[in-house]
Amino acid sequence: MSLQIENVSLVLGDGEQQVKALDNVSALVEPGELIAVAGPSGAGKSSLLAVCGGLRQPTSGRVSIDGTEISGMKPAELTRVRREKIGFVFQLSNLVPALSALDQLLLLVHLQGRRPDNADREHARALLDEVDMSHRADRRPNQLSGGERQRVGIARALMTNPKIMLVDEPTSMLDHNRGHAIVELLAARCRDHKVATLMVTHDRGMLDVASRVFNILDGKLSEAA
Amino acid sequence: MFIAIRDLRFAWGRFLLMAVVVGLVAFLTTLLSGLASGLVKNNISGLEELDFTHLSFEYGNKPSYRNSLIERDMWEGWRELEGVQALEPMGHSMFNARLMDNTSLDDVVLWGIEPGSFLEPQVQEGSGLVGAVENGVIISELLVERGLKLGDTFKLDRALTKLKVVGIVEELNIGHVPIVYMPIRKWQEATYGPPGYDGREKLPDILFDYATLIAMKIDPAVSAETLAEMDIDMGTLTVDRPGAYLASTGYREEIMTVQMIQGFLIIISAVVIGAFFTVWTIQRTQEIGLVKALGASNAYLMRDALGQVVMLMVAGVIVGVAIALQLGQVFVEGGFPFAMEIEAALAAALFLVLAGLAGSALSVRLITRVDPIIALGAQK
Repeated sequence: MSLQIENVSLVLGDGEQQVKALDNVSALVEPGELIAVAGPSGAGKSSLLAVCGGLRQPTSGRVSIDGTEISGMKPAELTRVRREKIGFVFQLSNLVPALSALDQLLLLVHLQGRRPDNADREHARALLDEVDMSHRADRRPNQLSGGERQRVGIARALMTNPKIMLVDEPTSMLDHNRGHAIVELLAARCRDHKVATLMVTHDRGMLDVASRVFNILDGKLSEAA
Repeated sequence: MFIAIRDLRFAWGRFLLMAVVVGLVAFLTTLLSGLASGLVKNNISGLEELDFTHLSFEYGNKPSYRNSLIERDMWEGWRELEGVQALEPMGHSMFNARLMDNTSLDDVVLWGIEPGSFLEPQVQEGSGLVGAVENGVIISELLVERGLKLGDTFKLDRALTKLKVVGIVEELNIGHVPIVYMPIRKWQEATYGPPGYDGREKLPDILFDYATLIAMKIDPAVSAETLAEMDIDMGTLTVDRPGAYLASTGYREEIMTVQMIQGFLIIISAVVIGAFFTVWTIQRTQEIGLVKALGASNAYLMRDALGQVVMLMVAGVIVGVAIALQLGQVFVEGGFPFAMEIEAALAAALFLVLAGLAGSALSVRLITRVDPIIALGAQK
């Protein structure tokens, strides 16, 4: 039981502007499993990630990571949960501009309040190697292609040995073949590292690599047949 | 500081430009305050050299070198106070001086002092007043630049008194006017006696019962209340050393000008740094949101940002101050009044760094307000 969402609703805005971004959503993502959530833009994909990642508090319902409920936690506690238990893979180019590929990974060690030691460096290099990026370890984001950046992003998400991985439109800026390769890599990494992974995408061509597929529309989640 | 240091390397052009601006502000602050404090020192160098703890003026709203008149009763009265370790009446008057060929020496201040007393300065050249000719004087080096030499005789306008240079001291001024030290008796003759007095007739004794000031060395254990009571009894106005400086013409205004310039420069520095880091932070909003989403606390990001400010400020300030001090040295060699103590330079530098930190407070506030949710969804 790694990521559990129970009856989660998220209401955004107030008064007459209220929108139900998530409407009584429930799902369970097991370790090693890659769940894909597909839907058009505005269907609630980002809200789902925000709630699972502790970036938004659900209006009602519970989100638990590895058996610990995170809904209701204070912002500082959520920051720690993100740092220690969650790996994020964002849309393209969400790397820190000034950092080399290797430093993108080592930053997470710094955020935990430690100086990276040799073990951390070896761990980071091994992860870059897993995503075929060890030969570009000293390059900054502006020296990397879109696919390469996304590979670094995947390695970064795994750096802290997270319980769950949240993936936001990983292929939005890539052509089909490159995008598919990235998603396959993602699925393989999440299986090997036994991470419960939730990926949202609007690209239905990526769904074949997922263990299970959900559709989301108007904030309602339903498992695809 | 992990990101901060790499930012400096990555966007080095922008940071270099900013460091140059900080350096220029530091340079200006140091140079101007050096020149200004040189000017201020130049005003009161005579007082700085004088060995006293307190000066008594005639009672008035504020101490005035020009208008004060002290009678013998007053200084004899003060002499009786317990804790007064040394006391001398002292004359202060301003004259226009001329060489014997009528070349003007401009204004000089005559200080009448008891020869050999604690008020007599150490000469660089020539001899002191004790044992010198009856009209012998010690002059400020500034008058040497105006054409006087050891052994020369010069005269005072109005009084027509002729004075002979027996000793020369470093440049000692009051109110930027060079000082001529002379025996107080000769000073009383020149100031209160008839013009052209040549010593052949006897002057009335009463002339020698007046002076301008009382210079004293008073035990620090004597309380301010005691001094205030004495002032009332004696009809005097007694000030300590800073008070004596402030009474010098122009000194208060000069100090205020110096402080105003420094204040403005520090404010400018705070605003410039604040503006730069605010724009820089706004540019980095996306990145800050991302790092927060990855689990960075506000404290971490603030440390990072402030560390960056400190590195930038320290680098800029060190270079700016160093260049200004070098140039100040050139000024000193060129005879300009430039004075800069290391402590004062360090204090100004520290103030600049603090101003930079204060200026970047807004950008730090912006950092705390970034919502990590912006890391999700489409970008750029």
